[in-house]
Amino acid sequence: MARVAAGTYAGSRASLGRRVLYLADLIRELVMRDLKLRYKRSVLGLAWSLLNPLLQFLVFAFVFHWVLPLDIENYPVFLFTGLLVWNWFSGALHGGAGVVVDSVELVRYPRFPILLLPLVSVASHWVHFLLALPVLGAFLALAGIGPYWSWLALPLLMLAQFAFILSLVYLLAAAHVFFRDVQYLLGVALLLGFYLSPVFYDSSIVPERFQLLYRLNPVAVLIDAYRSVLLEGQLPPALPLIILLAGALLMIALGLPVFHRASYRFAEEL
Amino acid sequence: MVHPVQVSHVTKRYRRHSRHRPYTLQEAVARGFGGLRPKETILALSEISFDVPCGAMAGIVGANGAGKSTLLRLVGGVGRPDSGSIRTDGRLGAMIDLGVGFHPDLTGRENVRTNGVIGGLTRREINARLDDIVDFAGLRDFIDSPLRTYSSGMWMRLAFAVATAVRPDILLVDEVLAVGDAAFQEKCLARIRDFKARGSSILLVTHQIGLVERLCDLALWLDAGRLVELGPAPQVAQSYLAHVQEAQLAQATD
Repeated sequence: MARVAAGTYAGSRASLGRRVLYLADLIRELVMRDLKLRYKRSVLGLAWSLLNPLLQFLVFAFVFHWVLPLDIENYPVFLFTGLLVWNWFSGALHGGAGVVVDSVELVRYPRFPILLLPLVSVASHWVHFLLALPVLGAFLALAGIGPYWSWLALPLLMLAQFAFILSLVYLLAAAHVFFRDVQYLLGVALLLGFYLSPVFYDSSIVPERFQLLYRLNPVAVLIDAYRSVLLEGQLPPALPLIILLAGALLMIALGLPVFHRASYRFAEEL
Repeated sequence: MVHPVQVSHVTKRYRRHSRHRPYTLQEAVARGFGGLRPKETILALSEISFDVPCGAMAGIVGANGAGKSTLLRLVGGVGRPDSGSIRTDGRLGAMIDLGVGFHPDLTGRENVRTNGVIGGLTRREINARLDDIVDFAGLRDFIDSPLRTYSSGMWMRLAFAVATAVRPDILLVDEVLAVGDAAFQEKCLARIRDFKARGSSILLVTHQIGLVERLCDLALWLDAGRLVELGPAPQVAQSYLAHVQEAQLAQATD
């Protein structure tokens, strides 16, 4: 059996406290690096993370308010909520799938904890989500919605969404190293998934006979939960979210060893 | 006494795939997931064993493709041996592949910071050492420019300065040192000697046999993945040199 002393990057002689402090620093540094790199390449910089959903918002608001009216109460804030949740999901999934391939310089770094890469990618897209929250707050205020106590449940929803995305990213990122069209195929799937998720419409208008099938889409569960918490001031049904979180944690528990085993070959395959 | 670097019976094979290996999921599905197994494996390292004690410097010599860099990468934890074990204990500083850890779009300062943190320092620790690192690399005027504007020499100087910002318990240095000019090389060697004197274990891959004779305590001579000779540096260096001259002579008479 091959054995390599692992997890010694903070120094195997370091105390637990130092190691935790160090790990937090490392994740923070890597997330900041990811954000910096993203914004170095665009003139608009950080503003882009807000401009993008706003442009999407304008187009969808135009189409579904004037062209094909959907007649949904408080449509602007309803739509913007859906867009934010979807964008975090699709951006992190797409970016996360490519994270190993796009980080050759880190994968080849002696003792770099490759296991962190998917986490860093999801976290960096979560930061975009957080940055857009004040805009969402403005939308809510303009519509005269809230504040509600239910808003306090927002961190739990974010946790469920984070875990769900991460559970997929571990597998996708590893797969993309060996089959370089995974990210492309994922892009196609995401395009289709967008229409199968209640981003710009209300999931309640899905006909009854499809509802059970429709509810199998975790993103639908998440978007509905966010809307219930943010717009209606009500806690969403707990069971689907608990199943989602438990399923995601289980997937992470299964996906991590797969990713870990594959990671020994990453440096060779890149 | 447990040595900081312990390599025992390490074997590493690289997979070589046929030209028809599917690289996309679409091809793989179309071919029923055939052709995914490697056609053959190439033995990069075979049954390599050695230890590097505290305060010792080991030189690795051998022709191109002998497996020197592969060995250094494995000791650095990049990739994993197919069999055998590698144990390293302590803070690691490595200069193996030029540019590893650096991103061309980030400035020197930003790269130093990330590299330092990945290398095992907290943000506070790296910030406190930033000036020293920049001074050692001699890049004060360029530190806020993106790395893509650096020459390979500047790039290397920065990498060496970061990797050795804190005395590593284990230092891995590949040929990269050859990129710098003579003055900087001397500066690096002085620092390496200082670490050695203070108890670091050092592994050095080089084609400059003179360096091995002058600096190293022990040396490994690798040939096609096999350990030809392991022993006191001057002795191994001599037999390696003799072998090289013999080969040259044989070639000349052909």
